[in-house]
Amino acid sequence: MESLLVTQAINVVYEVLILAVLVLGLAVVMGLLNVLNIAHGEFVMLGAYTAYTVQKAGFPYLAAVPAAAVVCGVIGLLVERFLIRPLRYDPFETLLATWGLGLLLRKLVELVFGRGFRSVDIPIGGSVSIFGEAYPTYRLVLMAIAVVVVVALFVWYARAATGARIRAMVGNPVLAEAVGIRTRQLARNTFVAGTAWAGIAGVMIAPLTPVEPFMGLTLIVNSFFALVVGGMGTVTGLFAGSTIIGGLQSVLSASVSPTTAYLAMLILSILFLWQRPRGLFPRP
Amino acid sequence: MGSFLVRNGLILALLVLVPTFVGEFWAYQLGLYFLYALAAMGVGLTWGQAGILPLGQGMFVALSAYTAAYGLSGIGTSPLAFVVIPAAALGVALFGFLFSTVVFRGHSDRGPSFSLITLALTLAAFQIATTWSSVTGGFNGLRNIPGLPGLDGFLDLYYLIAVVLGLSIAFVDYLLRAPLGALWRAIADNERRLAFLGYDVAALKAVAFAVACWLAGLAGALYAPQQNLVTPDLAGFAFSGDLVIFAAVGGRATVLGPVIGAIVVGVLSAELRDRFPWWEIVIALFFIVVVLRLPGGLMTLFAPLERLRLARGQTPRASRAPDKPRAAAPLSVGFEDVRVRMGDVTILDGLSVKTGDEAVLCLIGPNGAGKTSALNVMTGALPKRGGRILIDGVDVLRPEPAAVARSGVGRKFQTPSVFPKLTIDENLAIALWSGRWRGFDLLRPSLFGWTTPLLDEMRRRFGFLGSGGKAASDLSHGERQILELTMALITEPRLLLLDEPCAGLSHEETAQVIDAIQWARQSLNLRIIIIEHDMELVRRLADRVVVLHQGRFLADGSVEEVQGNPDVRAVYVGGSR
Repeated sequence: MESLLVTQAINVVYEVLILAVLVLGLAVVMGLLNVLNIAHGEFVMLGAYTAYTVQKAGFPYLAAVPAAAVVCGVIGLLVERFLIRPLRYDPFETLLATWGLGLLLRKLVELVFGRGFRSVDIPIGGSVSIFGEAYPTYRLVLMAIAVVVVVALFVWYARAATGARIRAMVGNPVLAEAVGIRTRQLARNTFVAGTAWAGIAGVMIAPLTPVEPFMGLTLIVNSFFALVVGGMGTVTGLFAGSTIIGGLQSVLSASVSPTTAYLAMLILSILFLWQRPRGLFPRP
Repeated sequence: MGSFLVRNGLILALLVLVPTFVGEFWAYQLGLYFLYALAAMGVGLTWGQAGILPLGQGMFVALSAYTAAYGLSGIGTSPLAFVVIPAAALGVALFGFLFSTVVFRGHSDRGPSFSLITLALTLAAFQIATTWSSVTGGFNGLRNIPGLPGLDGFLDLYYLIAVVLGLSIAFVDYLLRAPLGALWRAIADNERRLAFLGYDVAALKAVAFAVACWLAGLAGALYAPQQNLVTPDLAGFAFSGDLVIFAAVGGRATVLGPVIGAIVVGVLSAELRDRFPWWEIVIALFFIVVVLRLPGGLMTLFAPLERLRLARGQTPRASRAPDKPRAAAPLSVGFEDVRVRMGDVTILDGLSVKTGDEAVLCLIGPNGAGKTSALNVMTGALPKRGGRILIDGVDVLRPEPAAVARSGVGRKFQTPSVFPKLTIDENLAIALWSGRWRGFDLLRPSLFGWTTPLLDEMRRRFGFLGSGGKAASDLSHGERQILELTMALITEPRLLLLDEPCAGLSHEETAQVIDAIQWARQSLNLRIIIIEHDMELVRRLADRVVVLHQGRFLADGSVEEVQGNPDVRAVYVGGSR
């Protein structure tokens, strides 16, 4: 019984961390740049298909990481140039444009790979015994990577000069430009970093989920509402949102039903959107 | 009126005649796209007019469809079945009205949060529709829904749907030409200005949303007997997204745009989906192009036809607007120890000041003294942290822009705030209606002809106000200042707040504006509070000058008294006190 509880607890932590990884790219794009990229889930989906292709071609799974980053980064670059920048990074307009983009990417992938599920083999098999219960190694590895990445990002954003430049640009773009920050390139690089990371996140989760053209939709819903609840533009908000949404989903799914978990998340998000649209820990 | 009947009569006739041209099979198919068109028209109305994008209209279609399915199955072949359709739509409209009132009330941000709430709602509705099998039939939905009694043939229901669509087009067309339509466009243009003219913006938005839900409800209620089947797909986010795409592709700003969008995309999809797998990519690309470059959608192609429109440029007959019920005395304001903070910055630090017998009070003080903030906190644009604000001797706990405006406060902002996309006439009309419309006035197009002696006088003084068909965005900065001043004046306020009314005006314009202010003060019996830096202007206008400094009252008196005050000198010139 106790060991079961431990497994459950690890599962909750796992769900939260995976959500944090998925939210990360969106947090960069939406939280920092105010671009409501509703096609973000499609970038994760593209990353997952890249992983599938790389694995099918017989390359080592790790090769999928740079491949997905390049695929999604290049597409992100094009999207920034031809969609986001012409719309002046306006939240409302980009929401609409990326809505169309999501449709486009889903259909393109459907055309190339078909509608069916693809499965990606787990690159690190086996399991580790924790308090007598076997737990899949790959999941533990993923959790470790997630922690490292999020903490590294936190430190980098707080300390590195680029982090300061991004904060300056977000706080006051005109002034930032005036003190010599090339806001155009910086915004572009930030956007591309967000989409590239979405691709990497896709590689990470691909072995654990059915890979299909519509997988991005469910992912975007959770990530999006995690940001809404947590608050945009802060690392604390990212953590808080992922913990609340991921934790709620995981606990309610296990104890009641996945439907209840999903509805509870939606209701919570509606309450936040209505009463506290900037979330728990918004950017000041 | 004549042109309205001709236009909509033609559309209705065309819709009814379609089966003769395309045959029964296509007419049946078209019936379904007409239903989509109904719902898309609602999206066009809220999004294209009022600027509120609903991302979950499918939920309202589904709600009505399930209701109608139960109603029709329960009633069977009794003629009462025909009551089910409007009843289901009305229920949905009422629900939409209540829901949106709750959401809009007290939230004036134009961000995407309402859109996202509707999106989350439709996701929840889909989940409920799929899992609550005992009621909704689960994933497979409700089957074998009876048709409407007497409408058994393939085509019978088509005619009903065509008539409903034709009448709905006429209904929406009428609304958009009525004063209500102008107010919706004003919301999209400048919500704050509308509130400061005394309009209940949340209610106006909720009415727009309720009309959209009524249309979605009609679509859903007719969908049930048309398809004899209702599935959760209607509540799915893809269908809600399709409705947005129909409206965008067709042209969201027009009545017919969403209808054309739904029919064109619907028919082409049905024809091409199987034969041409790239088809949906074409739709997605076109949607992106619309967002990027072509906000008018397909309707842009028909724009040249506007010139052929019957009775174009016809102006309604001028008529005298009803008098505004108005207390005779000017409105008095008192600040008692009012405090305002934003974050760590103290903006008003215990400001106490009261209006007296003077007609024109000039508020001066160095930058950051809290002059504009004082007006903001009094009109509800800034929250106060302490102290009391007395309007006409009544302690107003939480001032709201619209309520303050209705109590007789007119405000002109520092940077001109008008409705840029509306015409000069519409700008003036909206200001004039404020506080004068009663009951169903907002549905009467004759309101566009309203005028008052005050408005006539302002038009005489400022010639450009006469070229009424011009968009306000085409005016120069100075003209916009004067337009906004006129809008504030013709509401016949008992207290007029002017924030640097002559900033950016030419020498001549300044003289004209001062003249107009002097005239208004004599003919209207109102109080005017002016924020001004230009001491020349202050000297000419002020009965009393109040000086603020660092969020506090510093001195008051006549211009000479204030200028002689050593404290005031110290603040302006520096030096020791």
